[in-house]
Amino acid sequence: MSDSTTTTTKTQPLIFQPKPERAAPPSTVGVIGWMRQNLFSNVSNTLLTIVGAYIVYVFLAWVLNWAVFNAVWQAENRRECLDLVGRSGACWPGVIQWFDNLIYGLYPKDQIWRINLGFLALILWVAPLWFPKVQSKVAIGITAVMLYPFLASYFFLGGDKGVLWMALISAGLTGLIWVWLTVFTELFHGKSFTRMMGEILGASGKSEEEQLKFGRLSLIGVFAIAVVLVSQWELSFVSTRQWGGLFLTLVISGIGITFSLPSGILLALGRRSTMPLIRLMCTGFIELFRSVPLITILFMFNTMLPLFLPVGVEVNQLVRAIVAVCLFAAAYMAEVIRGGLQAIPKGQYEAAAAMGLGYWQATTLIIMPQALKIMIPTIVGNFIGLFKDTTLVSIIGLFDLLNMARSVGEDTRWLGLFIEPFFFITLIYFFFCFLMSQYSINLERKLEAGARR
Amino acid sequence: MAITESTAMRGSKPSSSILNNETFRAIVFQFVTVVCIFGLGWYFVTNTIDNMAQRGMSAGFGFLNVSAGFGISFTLIPYREGDSYFRVFQVGIANTLLVAVISIIGATVIGLIVGLMRMSKNWLVRTIARWYIEILRNTPLLLQIIAWYFGVFNLLPRPRDSLDWGGLFFLNNRGFYMPGPVPGDGFTVTLIALVIAIAAAVGLRYWARKRQEATGKYFPAVSAGLAVIVALPLAVFLLSGAPLAWDVPALQGFNYRGGLSVPPALCALVLALAIYTSCFIAEIVRSGVQSVSHGQTEAARALGVKPSWTMRLIILPQALRVIIPPLISQYLNVTKNSSLAIAIGFPDLVSVWMNTSLNQSGRAIPIVAMTMAFYCIVSLFVSLIMNPYNRRILLKER
Repeated sequence: MSDSTTTTTKTQPLIFQPKPERAAPPSTVGVIGWMRQNLFSNVSNTLLTIVGAYIVYVFLAWVLNWAVFNAVWQAENRRECLDLVGRSGACWPGVIQWFDNLIYGLYPKDQIWRINLGFLALILWVAPLWFPKVQSKVAIGITAVMLYPFLASYFFLGGDKGVLWMALISAGLTGLIWVWLTVFTELFHGKSFTRMMGEILGASGKSEEEQLKFGRLSLIGVFAIAVVLVSQWELSFVSTRQWGGLFLTLVISGIGITFSLPSGILLALGRRSTMPLIRLMCTGFIELFRSVPLITILFMFNTMLPLFLPVGVEVNQLVRAIVAVCLFAAAYMAEVIRGGLQAIPKGQYEAAAAMGLGYWQATTLIIMPQALKIMIPTIVGNFIGLFKDTTLVSIIGLFDLLNMARSVGEDTRWLGLFIEPFFFITLIYFFFCFLMSQYSINLERKLEAGARR
Repeated sequence: MAITESTAMRGSKPSSSILNNETFRAIVFQFVTVVCIFGLGWYFVTNTIDNMAQRGMSAGFGFLNVSAGFGISFTLIPYREGDSYFRVFQVGIANTLLVAVISIIGATVIGLIVGLMRMSKNWLVRTIARWYIEILRNTPLLLQIIAWYFGVFNLLPRPRDSLDWGGLFFLNNRGFYMPGPVPGDGFTVTLIALVIAIAAAVGLRYWARKRQEATGKYFPAVSAGLAVIVALPLAVFLLSGAPLAWDVPALQGFNYRGGLSVPPALCALVLALAIYTSCFIAEIVRSGVQSVSHGQTEAARALGVKPSWTMRLIILPQALRVIIPPLISQYLNVTKNSSLAIAIGFPDLVSVWMNTSLNQSGRAIPIVAMTMAFYCIVSLFVSLIMNPYNRRILLKER
């Protein structure tokens, strides 16, 4: 490099020599430059900044003073709080005393570990989905949706186990054990558990198919172990009337979310079907449930579901609410999925047909993955909406998080204490919703990586 | 091997099973589905008939003429306790629509402001708008309504110590009080003048556009039209001797009398609905304006379009195409969400009809059907208007 420059300077003495760059003016770089550009670029902007800063200051000072600096943390009842600080500070002891009720409802205090264990099982079940080395993520996801509910409902409900019920619970436990066995074998040997067992059990030299058969047989062994474990278990029965608080909110929204996605997909496919009767029925269902408010559907199921069923059959109120929420969520999800399906260019369908794929193959392998991918933000937005909408079950008398917070102010010791519990549950709702929306933004960015050049 | 397979296939072609026929399968599949649905429906209907017979309920609409016999705390249209159930239904609809209209106006104004703030060049303004949206959008509407009601409007001072703005507007725990207009004789003339002025303004705009298309000459039709709408009725009003009195609320005994009063439940409901919906509208406005590519602005500059006209003539018409459909669906959402009034005891359709009337008369089926029919008609009506509009504004490409 230096050689060539010296030779050129010899033959061509007049060559452009750029002067070293001068540093940018200090007023355009660093913190000051950023502030000048974004906060004080001209007179009106500066004015806006000052007004905005004042508003933020007043708001934050008011909230912090009320919630932290002037707040009362120890008192026996609301009167004490009012005597100490009046309305200028929050009265947290009421919320602290009601904390267990806000989270677990009226669940028996000595049984609360069951709820914690149930949610821990869910976390254990789905956590492997975020491990990069695990391969059978689809299978893990499907087992979580299909088998986890049995396990969880026994944790939460308890009571007598019939033969069928016991088999289902054992299947749930089998699923959980299988997930973690698979995770371990895949992390350390790169093979799924069934394949691994097939290689160990099946005599070597046999074909892979036959080895897999042996591997699947080993699942029966796991199931047998699960049955033995489950039969040792004895959990006392807890009526759904004692369910409440954040726990109930999570149960209702969890069931609604898991039900809405598959049924929404089916409804959306039905609405785009070429069979006129199917299309008519799906469109009718979707439009009916989307044009009326959720509260009317909840009321309808609350008053009409007992009428629809044979004389003498009592339906649990929680079940009525869950049915209403599920159908409502399915109708909304169907429209979202349909939007995604409409965005898929026709060439994709034609290409799939040209490859010889049938309707279901084309839908599950080509169309649906793309449609779901485009619609992730809207789908998650729908989940958030559903989570927020579960508050409506409080109107028909279920004690979800909102209704629990409301009953703090109706307790004789904390009479009129509304703002503090509302503030607390607002934080809880915000935490869950914000987490979901941020995760969806993240996921969108990750899936978009392929499209970026 | 290959030969035998192909001959086998050729041989089996004519005798292909009817089960593989697409049309046949479609018909069978639909038939089975319809039979299942109708079977389920039949099961429900027979059960319902049995249940109703056992509980002594009847399903007819005959109860609509029966006197309801309960009072309603707030009614937009006249209602007395002895009025029929059908009148209760009308009162409910009127109240629902009132809440919806006020909330929609409020939500649009706030949403527009927040949406513009969200796009501000000023970082602080942008951030404030962003967190306003994030916080309010991520908490349930019902929680917000209840919080406004129990946390704000219930804690206001008694009427005796109510908040007072210039002796005209009063706010206390019984509600919001403001002066009510009392039109005198001859006020109708002013109203007629207003109608004429609006018609004149529309005509002016039509003429101005025609002339501009024909000759290219510009006439400021919008500002001139606004001037006509304000000036003409005002002139008529003053010439006819200002026949309008104001009924100012005044404290009498334990409460304010006179003027217009808004109950706290309505205040809380409208405020919560407007603020909650404004977040969604703000995001819609932002996405609409940002959907117009920057090249459009640059092209307008290059053509010498005035900066003040660029927004109105180039950006806004294109942004509205993206903004209007989701905006209308938000308006529909407001109408549906107004049903949450039941949580704070405001007598809207769901509260007064699907709750009070249903519990009192026990006619579950007609009442549920009528309520759902109302909401279905509203949304059908909106989609009847929106579908042609959506088709019209569809980008015509290629």
